[in-house]
Amino acid sequence: MAFTGNFMCTSFKQELMVATHDFTASTGSTFKLALYDNNASFTAATTAYTATDEVSGTGYSAGGGTLTNVTPTTSGTTAYGDFDDLTFSTATITARGALIYNDTAAGDPSVVVLDFGADKTSTAGDFTIVFPTADASNAIIRIA
Amino acid sequence: MLKAKIELPEDFSVTVQTTDRRGFTPEEVAERCVDRLIDVSDQAHPGIRDQAHAFRRQMLAVVAFYMREAIKSDRTTIYNALSQAGYKELAEQLRRL
Repeated sequence: MAFTGNFMCTSFKQELMVATHDFTASTGSTFKLALYDNNASFTAATTAYTATDEVSGTGYSAGGGTLTNVTPTTSGTTAYGDFDDLTFSTATITARGALIYNDTAAGDPSVVVLDFGADKTSTAGDFTIVFPTADASNAIIRIA
Repeated sequence: MLKAKIELPEDFSVTVQTTDRRGFTPEEVAERCVDRLIDVSDQAHPGIRDQAHAFRRQMLAVVAFYMREAIKSDRTTIYNALSQAGYKELAEQLRRL
């Protein structure tokens, strides 16, 4: 059991077509990012948030941190969405990956699986997830 | 015949930055900020690319400066909050940081 890469959850693709998710800033759904150790085994088949193998430690609460949505926009023929960077402050935690999920929708449906590539540790410090440049080539969620 | 293909690319990646017994410095946060504001393509015309990099360096200095200003101003606010709450010694220590 381990992280094996980044995945866009297949269930998320279906849920987009039935308007489960709203990425609008301020008024949209509440999306959260939960951190996991390398015992977690998420894939594209992951459908929802789970507390199993979620990290614990100072500065981190079960369920993870709330993301700040950036209202989706377009560039050329690509639509894309983004989140502000997320920091767990004064945190002592080690995580190998993360799951972004919709905390507003019933069942906490998952959006994407993020593999950090290696264990990342903060000790009484800041643990920051830096999102990619918000453009048609790099944004975290793109529909081309 | 109309042919359309919709894709949700999976080539995204996030990076993780951590610190050990300290917070990020204004310069470290400014780097993140400028990375979000300006993306310079390796494929850009050399003239434009050089100008973009020069602009990025300038932005980095400006953002870092105003971050330090914000920190100093916030310390003043916290100094006064602690001082008014009777923690004058702690407030003084904070002011000297």
